[in-house]
Amino acid sequence: MLRRLVAATALGSAIALLLVSTTTAQTSYKVPRLADGHPDFQGFWNNTTYTPLERPKGIDREFFTKEEVVEQMKRAAADEAEQTVPGTVADVHYDFTQFGLDRSQAPLSVNLRTSLIVDPPDGHFPPMTEEGKRLNAARAEARKRAGAITDSDQNEPLSVRCILMDRDGPPMLAGAYNNNYQIVQAPDTVMILVEMLHSPRIIPTNARPALPASIRQIEGSSRGRWDGDTLVIETTNFKDMFMFAFQGASADMKLTERFTRVSDDTLTYRFTVDDPKVWTRPWSAEVPWKKAIGPIFEHACHEGNYSLTNLLRGSREDERRAREKK
Amino acid sequence: MRTTFVVIVALGAWLLAAPLVAHHAFSSEFDISKPLKLRGTLTKWEMINPHSWFHIDVKGPDGTVTPWLIEGGSPNQLIRLGVTKKALPIGAEFIIEGYQARDGTNKAVGRNFTLADGRSFLLGGSAPGATGEKP
Repeated sequence: MLRRLVAATALGSAIALLLVSTTTAQTSYKVPRLADGHPDFQGFWNNTTYTPLERPKGIDREFFTKEEVVEQMKRAAADEAEQTVPGTVADVHYDFTQFGLDRSQAPLSVNLRTSLIVDPPDGHFPPMTEEGKRLNAARAEARKRAGAITDSDQNEPLSVRCILMDRDGPPMLAGAYNNNYQIVQAPDTVMILVEMLHSPRIIPTNARPALPASIRQIEGSSRGRWDGDTLVIETTNFKDMFMFAFQGASADMKLTERFTRVSDDTLTYRFTVDDPKVWTRPWSAEVPWKKAIGPIFEHACHEGNYSLTNLLRGSREDERRAREKK
Repeated sequence: MRTTFVVIVALGAWLLAAPLVAHHAFSSEFDISKPLKLRGTLTKWEMINPHSWFHIDVKGPDGTVTPWLIEGGSPNQLIRLGVTKKALPIGAEFIIEGYQARDGTNKAVGRNFTLADGRSFLLGGSAPGATGEKP
């Protein structure tokens, strides 16, 4: 009961903001500026959302009504605050609400859209090319050959190994919690500090030449520029890995992120994936980012990551017990 | 009536499409077939991301004391809500329901933390500023 009350109260402020923001004309917004004349994005932001990337089956509209969104946010908050059923896989976990981690307790972005994908307008990924299907089948095969994820630390997902999480990107997408970012601007550089895994993205905005195509990085290589009042970041030079690929993209994906301030407490983050090897056409998604409380806290992922050794040791014990049974 | 039903089903699908995703698969670290309930006193609270770990001493019926390590949630949001590791006094008594580690050692995930007097141990929700958070 207390959990539900907390979720409902925390959500109240987000819904109140939704009602205000959808009645405010955003065209009249005067963007705050730095001394160099560029818009000021500095500060702390949070991209938590209940909205899925792809529009689920059964919904054929681009937008919900305000009433529908309020209703589903309340339901989502109540569901996440609800206890799981003992003896089920979902129950083998700590309680998110007890630790302030369910989404209703974050500075939640509210969004009338039924999906984060805005283009194609049907909210779905465009069809995958034959080459894209072959590439991803080969990756799945390589993944299978490497063995079970608990066979070795190298087989564990990049998130468990404290290397990369969906918050890092690019593109930067929210997970369940700790979706906090800090933006710092200098005349020739923008820095985006991602709280979850504590990764700083340092992006030159001074027309520094791109890296040669032979240098590949998990997070690619980013270059920034200004398009009017929008900060544009283009990233290329991704690395081809069977362990991780954003939604099945190839290493030749060109990712374009666009940051636009639309009100004092919201910016619009839009990204476009252009990867003709994998998709028949480019696709784009849009996520509201909301002002958040700073500072960004240390995410000393390895220091606190007892879980990785527990996972591997538990698996060895399972194997030993299975051997003894034979 | 039918329209209402369709909207409700569709909204359900929308919610299912955005599940909570954690840092790692807990069911691989802890054993679903080993649920447990422990009563112990706090000896140390490690607030290190990505998880917090509660060290507790559990006294058996014969008076022997066994140390246990209990995995809890990420500290970032707690700290942001004003909860520090000083928020819980060493010696505080807890009842923890959870699941034991697969490796058979005295480690568990703390599904539920309750204070010994029966009060719910709702760190985030009970912290100052936990509700109506403002930027």
